[in-house]
Amino acid sequence: MKRSPLGLKLPEGMRDMLPEELARLEEMEAKALKTCRLWAYQKVATPGLEYRACVEPDAYKHDDLYKFFDKNGQILAIRPEFTTPIARMVVSRLKNPLLPLRYCYSGDVYRNNAARYREFRQVGVELVGSGSEVADAEVIALAVEIMKSLDIPNFQINLGHNGIFSGLAEELSIKDQLRLELEDGISRKDMVRLEGVISQSPLPSTVKELLLAMPHLTGGDEVLDKLKGWSHLQAIQKAVESLQNIFQHLEDFGVKDYVALDLGILRGFSYYTAAIFEGYLPGVGIPVIEGGRYDNLYADFGVNSPATGFAVNLGIILEQQTEFRVEKAEILVYGDSQREVIKYCCKLRQEGKVVEMVLEPLSDQDVTSLAQSKGIDQVIKV
Amino acid sequence: MPKNFLTIALPKGKLLTDSVQLLTQAGIDCRGVKEDSRRLLFDLPPNQARIIICRPTDIPTYVEHGAADIGFVGKDTIIEQNCDVAELLDLKFGYCRFVVAMPEENLPPILPNGEYDLNFINHKRVATKFPRVAQMFFSSKGMQVTPVKLHGNIELAPRVGLAETIVDIVSTGRTLRENNLKEVAQILEATTRMIANRVSYRIKYERIQELVDKCRELLQEK
Repeated sequence: MKRSPLGLKLPEGMRDMLPEELARLEEMEAKALKTCRLWAYQKVATPGLEYRACVEPDAYKHDDLYKFFDKNGQILAIRPEFTTPIARMVVSRLKNPLLPLRYCYSGDVYRNNAARYREFRQVGVELVGSGSEVADAEVIALAVEIMKSLDIPNFQINLGHNGIFSGLAEELSIKDQLRLELEDGISRKDMVRLEGVISQSPLPSTVKELLLAMPHLTGGDEVLDKLKGWSHLQAIQKAVESLQNIFQHLEDFGVKDYVALDLGILRGFSYYTAAIFEGYLPGVGIPVIEGGRYDNLYADFGVNSPATGFAVNLGIILEQQTEFRVEKAEILVYGDSQREVIKYCCKLRQEGKVVEMVLEPLSDQDVTSLAQSKGIDQVIKV
Repeated sequence: MPKNFLTIALPKGKLLTDSVQLLTQAGIDCRGVKEDSRRLLFDLPPNQARIIICRPTDIPTYVEHGAADIGFVGKDTIIEQNCDVAELLDLKFGYCRFVVAMPEENLPPILPNGEYDLNFINHKRVATKFPRVAQMFFSSKGMQVTPVKLHGNIELAPRVGLAETIVDIVSTGRTLRENNLKEVAQILEATTRMIANRVSYRIKYERIQELVDKCRELLQEK
C-alpha cells in the first residue's frame, strides 16, 4: 500500500532521533539515573496513558493534554508529567508504605503546546512522606549533582516559595475576587496587572508594599533576614524560616553556591505549596529543571502525605549539545563462505567485540574502503 | 557572550521611535538604530547589548524562546499571541483601543442605556487581525461569531462583503471614519509593554530590573 503524503510527515512538535542524538540522550539519561541511584532513589515507571481525571491540572487551568476516548467513552490522556501519575500509583498500590519513599523515573512526556517539542524526555525524582526542610534540600542538592554529572557548566538554580501569596491571602482574609485577580497576575507573570491590582486593592499600605516588593527579592540568603524583619505576618515568617533552614542544609550538602534565592519565581495555580525551584541554562528560554514541594497533591488522591521532587528536561538540554558521538563497530568481518563469516562473528561477539559483517560479496579493496568510510578500525577476512 | 548581555527586540513601525528614545534616555546608547529595510540587528558594544528589529506580532515569539531577553510590544499583541512571557512595565506610549466597528449604514439598534445592542452581531462574520481577542470578547458576552482572520487593512472587509463587522485597534479613529465605519463597542485599551523571557528575567534579573526601574522613573517624570 502506498502511503499518502501525510504518511511521510510527523505531527506537529514530534521528532525522530537518529543514532547520534539518541546515543547522547541516553548517555545523559544513564548518568542522571546513576546519580539518583547513589542517593538511593529507586526507579519506577507509570504507563504512558492515564485517565484524564488523574492528570488534569486545576479546573481553571487551560490544559495541554493530548486526549482521546477509550472504547468505553472515558477520556484518556497521554502523560504530561510523572509527578501526578506517581502519586496515583503510590496511593493506589502501596497501602502501608515505608516512608519516606524515594523514587526516580525517566521517560517521555507529552504536552500539546506550541513553543517547543511536544514530546520530550524527563528524568526526575519524588521524595514522598517527609515535610522537613532537609528533604527539600536533599532534592535540590540531588538536582545540582545531576547537572554536574551531565557536565553542564553555567547552570543555576533559583529557590523561591510558592506558599507566601496563598498564606497571606488566608491570613489577611483577602476576598475571593481579589485573590483570583492576584493569582491570575502571578500565573501569567504579568507584573503590570499585579501592580495595578495590588495598588487599587483595599489592603493596608504595609501589605501592599510587601506584595509589590516580594517578586523583586532575589540574591543571597541575606535578603531573607531583611524580609523577616520587615513583616510579622505569619505567612512571611514561616516561609522565611523554612527557606533559611533549606539554605543551611544546602551549605552542608556543599551546593549552596549553585542556588540563588528568588522570590520572583511565580507559578500561580499549581500543586506547589512551599519551597519551589527552577534550574536555568544561559540562552535556554525555558527552565531546564522545575521542582518543589507539593504537600496537597497526595491529599487530592485521598491520602495526606507531604512530598517534594523535581524533573529535569533532558530534551531541552539535548538541544544545546553540539558534540555527538555514536558507537561504531570495532571489527568488520568478511569472507567467501558466509557460513564461516557468521560463525566467526558469533565468536567475536561472545568475546564482547562490536562486530559488523559484510552481507554482499565484495572485493578486498571494496571492503577496505567500506571500513574506512564507516570508521571501523579493524578488518578481518575469514 | 557575557552573562549580562541583553538582546532587546523592538517592533518595526510607529512604536520604534518612542522605544529607541526611551532606551536612550535609560542609558542604552542606541545611536544608529533606525528602521532600515535591510538592517535588523544592531550591536551596541559599549552597553553589552544588541537590538533586533522585527514585526510587532513576532516579538512575543522571540522573547518566549529566549532569542531576545526583553521586548517592547503592544498589549494588544501580547493578548493575541498568548505567549508565556513576563510582562514587566507599562511604557504608556503607543496607546490604542480594541474596538468592534460596523458600517454606518448597518448599525445595531440602540438599547435604552444608550449602548448598541451587540446581539445584532450574533452569528455574523468578524474580520480581524486578532481572532483570539475577538473570540474572547464575544464569548464573554455569550455571543457566537465567525472570525475571519486577515493580516491587514481590516477596514476593507465590510465594504466588499467579506464580513459584516470588524474588530480592530484604533488610535485616532481616522481610518474608521474614512471608511464609513462606526465604533459600536470598546473591547479594551492597550499600551506598549516591556516584556521579558521568563528565564532571562531570572538569570539576568539585576540588569533587566535596573532597566525597568530607570524606564519607570523616566515615565513618571513625563
